[in-house]
Amino acid sequence: MSPTVRSAKPPFGAHAGSIRPPFRDNPRLILVGIALLLAALAAMVVLAERSAELSPDFLSGAVLYAVTAADLTMLAALVFVLARNVVKLLVERRRALPFARFRAKLVAAMLGLTLIPAVLVLIVGSELIRNSADRWFSAPVDDVLSSANAVASGYYHDRQVTVSEHADRIAGSLAGVDLAAADVGAVRDLISTEVTEGRVELVQVYRVVAESDDGRADVVPVVDVATSSLPQADAPVSADRLASRVLAGSAESWTVEPLAAGGDLVRAAALVPGPDGGAPLGVVVASSHLTGDVADHSRRITQAYEAYSQLRVLQRPLQGVYLSFFLMVTLLILVSATWMGVYIAKRIMRPVHLLSDGARALEAGQLDHRIEPETADEFGSLVEAFNSMAGGLAVSQRKLERSQADLRRKNVEVEGRRRYIETILERIATGVVSIDADGTVGTVNRAASRLLGLTEAAVGRPASEVFDRADLRPMGALLDSLPAARDPSAREVALEREGKAIHVAVAATTLQRAGAGGGGTVMVFDDVTPLIRAQRVATWRDVARRLAHEIRNPLTPIQLCAERLRRHFSTAPRPARALVEECSGTIVGEVESLKALVDEFSQFARMPAPRTVPVDLHALLDDALRLYDGLFDDVRIDRAFAPQVPAVRADPEQLRRVVINLVDNAIEVLRGAATGGAVNNGNRGLVVVGTAHAAADGIVRITVADNGPGIPPGDRDKLFMPYYSTKQRGSGLGLAIVRRIIVEHGGNIEVGDNGDRGSTFTVELPCSA
Amino acid sequence: MLLRGAAGRGVSWRGVLTNLGRGVGVTLCALLVLVPALVAADLVRVRPLHRDGQIFVSFELTDAFSEEMRAAIRSGLPTTFSYDVELRRAIRFWFDSTVASTTVAASVQYDNLTRRYHLSRTQDGRVDTSEVVDNEETARDTMTTFDRLPLFSATPLEANSEYYLRVDARTRPHNGWFAWPWSRATASGSAKFTFIP
Repeated sequence: MSPTVRSAKPPFGAHAGSIRPPFRDNPRLILVGIALLLAALAAMVVLAERSAELSPDFLSGAVLYAVTAADLTMLAALVFVLARNVVKLLVERRRALPFARFRAKLVAAMLGLTLIPAVLVLIVGSELIRNSADRWFSAPVDDVLSSANAVASGYYHDRQVTVSEHADRIAGSLAGVDLAAADVGAVRDLISTEVTEGRVELVQVYRVVAESDDGRADVVPVVDVATSSLPQADAPVSADRLASRVLAGSAESWTVEPLAAGGDLVRAAALVPGPDGGAPLGVVVASSHLTGDVADHSRRITQAYEAYSQLRVLQRPLQGVYLSFFLMVTLLILVSATWMGVYIAKRIMRPVHLLSDGARALEAGQLDHRIEPETADEFGSLVEAFNSMAGGLAVSQRKLERSQADLRRKNVEVEGRRRYIETILERIATGVVSIDADGTVGTVNRAASRLLGLTEAAVGRPASEVFDRADLRPMGALLDSLPAARDPSAREVALEREGKAIHVAVAATTLQRAGAGGGGTVMVFDDVTPLIRAQRVATWRDVARRLAHEIRNPLTPIQLCAERLRRHFSTAPRPARALVEECSGTIVGEVESLKALVDEFSQFARMPAPRTVPVDLHALLDDALRLYDGLFDDVRIDRAFAPQVPAVRADPEQLRRVVINLVDNAIEVLRGAATGGAVNNGNRGLVVVGTAHAAADGIVRITVADNGPGIPPGDRDKLFMPYYSTKQRGSGLGLAIVRRIIVEHGGNIEVGDNGDRGSTFTVELPCSA
Repeated sequence: MLLRGAAGRGVSWRGVLTNLGRGVGVTLCALLVLVPALVAADLVRVRPLHRDGQIFVSFELTDAFSEEMRAAIRSGLPTTFSYDVELRRAIRFWFDSTVASTTVAASVQYDNLTRRYHLSRTQDGRVDTSEVVDNEETARDTMTTFDRLPLFSATPLEANSEYYLRVDARTRPHNGWFAWPWSRATASGSAKFTFIP
């Protein structure tokens, strides 16, 4: 029945086949134990039944010793079993082992169940035995047996006295008779009277003889006379011994001799005195026959009396024997009950203990732990259920581990994807702002921060609060209109930041959660300002090309006609000729101006695509600025180059043209301002050309700053438009060409304040890959 | 017990019950050691005598013929008084050594029909004397009084050394409720003497 752990291994060095199973698991040993127990019970029953046939002495001796020893042995066994369990209970409780109390309770219950009835049976049985033993003896029986014994023994005593008297009288009658020399017939005649008169049945006469070797006296038979009714004595030797003893002076002068034919022979001996009281001459042995009936009855009486008396004397030992039988059975029951309790407890506890260990093993993660069921009873079913549970747990554990592995892998993938998207969001020029479902700003990427001027503090704040800023209100309005909008397509929103107009294409999308409502909003926006500018430039280039084409054609005939008029009127009167000369000169001059203007238009319209090569920016700047060395006394040009600037990929000629154009504009502004007294109260003008490297953005910046009067914010965006100029002379195409060159190089150009005074043009070019 | 004077002595079991483990040992010790010692009283008078290279021993068992004993004898039960006589030498801080030992027994069986006592004496199972007497006093003396028995040789004894004779008496039959298998004696006595050659 007891299950075993499937993974259990035999002790080190022991063969599995050589392990002897414990007693509780060995049916053969159990059967032998039960057989021995039954044999002991049967032996006790047989002994109790045959106790009446055994002598009281034997019962009170050997049997009492045996049963007492058996009682003590079983008592010691009971004490040992109980003490062992108590000690084990104490040890197991100290070690906090489970189920120790249960086993103790089970043993105590078994012992308690059997102790009370067994002790009751013992007490009742003991009282019954004692009462029965007391009833064995009673005063009437005592009196009867004592009287009977007194009668029998008195009868024997009387016969002994009588025979002794006869022996004395015969010995006296033979006093002084020399038995050795006397006539045997005379002696016979003398003693025959005693026999014939029936006083005794047998008279034997011995004479004393002296032994030659040691000088001791001895007797030899002389004559004997017996009645015919006396059975032939089987052993006359007894009379000889009696005579010898009496002659030797023994006090034992009579005997009772049982006869083989039945009855007893009472013998008495007397010495035959010598002459004048001298040494005895012989011994007379007189015998009286007690018939068989008398002797038998007397002996039965005596035996009954002795048996009764012995029973009385041995009353306590005999009671002790029977009580010991009861005690033995009681102890046997108690030992058996205790052992049975321990046995049952072990049988119950072992699978429970193994299940407990198995549960702990499962708790420790050993899901492969199994218990081998050995029986199909309730414990076997319990073990099967445990194993099934353990198997289910193992399968679930494996599924869980696989799920965890998949989840970890997916988490890694999601994390990678998140980082990938985050990197993209951080790197792309498109601004992305996510707004959570609760209306707070979730993320703001770097482009969005740059375009919208938002900081990290905006994350976590309500979107309505963030976009309530004056320059971002159009975005806020767009966000507010999003729930009602059906078309999530992009819209163009114009923002004004730091005095500049920024055109942003915004696409706001509401995120949809699976099975739920809105999951927030994502706003994606691009800075389309350069695109718009390029569109405008392209428009202007088309206009310029048309203007150049339409204007250039009539200019040449006009110029030729004016020169023809001047030649025709060269011979005309002076006033007329002077007038013609003046008018034709004006016409030719204006035509030349128009041609120059048309050339610029043509150049603006037909600007070639840049042929980019890696360019050392500082060398290019030095080369361009060297042209201005010594040209202007009132303007100073400084260099503020960064120590390390990577090469940029650009068309050197176009980039040089950009630098020269910007420096020319700055010098012209400074000199014009100097003429007007607007520069530093007559101080020398300063142009600073600098470089910087924004590694994080991957761009190189070229700045051209002056300390002139500066550019009003409202004019800054118009500066790069074609045909817009703040100068009295100029086509208004210089900065437009500059912007076009920079845009076609993938860069950007902006104008801003130079601190408190002047303006700064900033050109951003991508670094060479 | 047939002999009087086996005084009982109270044993406290409270301590035994308080600690069962210790109690088991105490119980066994009490059963094996204390009980035999308690029942053995000093009721045998012993007198040694050295003469002619022999140690003569005289001893007498007193108060042996109680009414119970007389009743047992009168009932016809064979009754035996067995005496274990040991010649021992005391050793300080160690167990005493036994120089020699012998067993003397006296048996009696009363014949209720003839009113006579059949007496016999044995030494180490060998019958020494056998007689039949009518007198109870004679029978009692035969059973309990032993005069100058030449039991031991003085040869192994050391001169001027101290010895003692110990006599343990047992009676049979047993008439108690329980028989104690390990009882040593129902009565005992001893006598010291200095051996002077």
